[in-house]
Amino acid sequence: MNASPTVDLTGITKRYRGTTALSAVDLTLRPGITGLLGPNGAGKTTLLRILATVLDPDAGEVRLLGRAPSGSVPLAEIRRRLGYLPQEMGFPRSFSCFAFIDYMAVLKEWSAPGPRHEEVRRVLDLVDLADVAPKRIRALSGGQRRRVGLAQALLGVPELLLLDEPTTGVDPEQRVSLRQLLSAAGEHSTVLLSTHQTEDVAALCDRVIVLDRGRILHDGGVQELVATAAGRVWLADTPDPGARASWRTGTGKYRNVGTVAPEGSERTDPTLEDAYLLLLGSRASVTEVAA
Amino acid sequence: MTATWHADDAELSRYVAGVAGAVNGASIEQHLLRCPVCRARVAEYVPQQPLEVVWERIRRQAEEPRPTPAQRALVRAGLSGSDALLVAAAPSLRTSWLLGLAGTLGFVALSVAYGGARGLAFFLLVAPLVPVVGVAFAYGPDVDPAYEVGRSAPYPATRLLLLRTAAVLATSLPLVVATSLVVPGLDATAFAWLLPALAFSAVVLAASTWCRPAVAATAVALGWACAVGSAALVRDAAAVLTPTLLAGYCLLGVAAVLVLRLRLRRNPFSRELT
Repeated sequence: MNASPTVDLTGITKRYRGTTALSAVDLTLRPGITGLLGPNGAGKTTLLRILATVLDPDAGEVRLLGRAPSGSVPLAEIRRRLGYLPQEMGFPRSFSCFAFIDYMAVLKEWSAPGPRHEEVRRVLDLVDLADVAPKRIRALSGGQRRRVGLAQALLGVPELLLLDEPTTGVDPEQRVSLRQLLSAAGEHSTVLLSTHQTEDVAALCDRVIVLDRGRILHDGGVQELVATAAGRVWLADTPDPGARASWRTGTGKYRNVGTVAPEGSERTDPTLEDAYLLLLGSRASVTEVAA
Repeated sequence: MTATWHADDAELSRYVAGVAGAVNGASIEQHLLRCPVCRARVAEYVPQQPLEVVWERIRRQAEEPRPTPAQRALVRAGLSGSDALLVAAAPSLRTSWLLGLAGTLGFVALSVAYGGARGLAFFLLVAPLVPVVGVAFAYGPDVDPAYEVGRSAPYPATRLLLLRTAAVLATSLPLVVATSLVVPGLDATAFAWLLPALAFSAVVLAASTWCRPAVAATAVALGWACAVGSAALVRDAAAVLTPTLLAGYCLLGVAAVLVLRLRLRRNPFSRELT
C-alpha cells in the first residue's frame, strides 16, 4: 500500500522578472529518497525553496505533510516537521559549530536547554562533527561547513528533508558516510536530494526527477531512466564527432554517448550520467555532469 | 624497592571507596607508593562510570557556548534563555556594533560641542536615525547569513523581529540620550527627537512587511536627511521639531503601528521577503 503523499504539488508556477523558473509543475512525493537532477537554471532550487516554505509560488496548489502552508498555524506545523539545507548557506562568523546548531535548534522550538543540547550532540555525531563542535565555523573546511548545514537540517528527525547539493565540497570518504546517513533517513522520511552528482542519485535514490527550464522531463525509477540509454553508449578507439558526448576514459578508450555503433566499437552498459545527457540533449552541460 | 607483603582485595576495595579508615588508609597509601603489584591491582577497584561521567562533563563544558554578556543581560531583563540566545544573535546587538555606535555618537557629541548651529543640525540628523539603523540591522536577509534556513524554521519571524527591535531600542536610545546630555545648548525640548526616532522605527517595522528592512531604513534616512538639511539651510535645523511636526511624528508612529498590526494578522512573513 502506498503511503500518503508528503508533498503534493499541482500546477506550480514561479516567475522571476519575466523568466519562468517553474512552469505548471505537478509532483507527488512519498517516503523514500528522490533525486532531483537538472542543469543550472532548471528550477531545482526554486522548487526546493517553495517546498521549504520560504518562497510562495505565483500559481498552483501546494500541500505539504497533508496541509496547505497558508496561515501561521499550519505553516508552523509544517515547519516543525521539515528540514532544509539551502544551496548557499551562510553562517554567523562568530558562532562555533555547536553554538550555530544550538541557535537553529531554538528556532526549531527546542527551548529546554538539556534536551536541546542532547539533540545538538546527536546531529553533530550523525555528520561526524562531534570532534569539532567547539570550533568556530569560520575555521572549518568547506566540506565540514556543508556538514554543519546538513546537521541543522536533521534536527528533530524531520519527516520531509529537502537537501540542495548536500555533498558539495565533501571528500569521497565523507560522501560515503553521508550516503549511509541519507539512506537511513530515507527509511522513515521523504528525502528530496537536489544535486549535480549523478553518482549520488544512482547510489541512493530509487526515483529520479529531471527538471529542465522549469518543466519535468523525467519522473520515474533510476533504472527506468538508465534503460533509455541502452544501446546508445559505445567504447571506441577514437572519438565519434556525431556523438552527443565523447571523452577519453582511463583505459585509453573513448566513451561515445548517443551514437549508433561506430565502426570497431564495443557496446557498454549505460550509466545514469549517460541517460541524463541523452535526455537533456544539447541543454546538458557535459563538463557539469562529467565532473 | 619492592614490598614484602601485599594488600588483600578487601583492603584495596575499602581504600578506593574511601572507607578504609584513617590509620588503615594511610598505611595502604604508603604501601602503594612502594609496591608496583598493588598499584596495578588498585585500578581494578576504581569504578569506570565516574570517570566517564567526569569526561562527559568536561566535554559538555568545552562544547556548550557560555552565554554572552548580552544574553545574560537579556535573561536578567526577563527573557527566557532561548529567546535571549535568538535576540543576542542580531548583528545590531553585538559588541562590535554597539562599540561602533558609541564611537559614532561620541564623534557626533564632539562635533556638536564645537559646531554651533551646524553641530546641532548634525546631531538632529544622526540621533533619530540610530534606532532606525539598529532595527534595520536586527533581522532580514541583508544582515543574517542564515536567514533563509531560519525562515524555514517554525519560530515566528514576527516575534523574533519584535523582540530584537525592543532590544535595539533599549540599548541604542539610552546611548543617544546620554550623548545628548553633553551637547551644549540642548534644553529639555531638544529631547523631542525621540518622537521621530520612535515613529521612524515603527515605519521601518511596518514597511519591512513589504520590503527588506534595510531598504525601508534607507528610504527613511534619506527622507529625514532631506528634511533636516532643508530646515538647516532655510532657517534652523530645530525647525524639524516644531509642535506641529511633533504631532505629525506621533500620528505617523501610531499609523505605522496600526499598519504593522494589520499586516502581522495576515502573516506577511510567510511570504517571500528576499
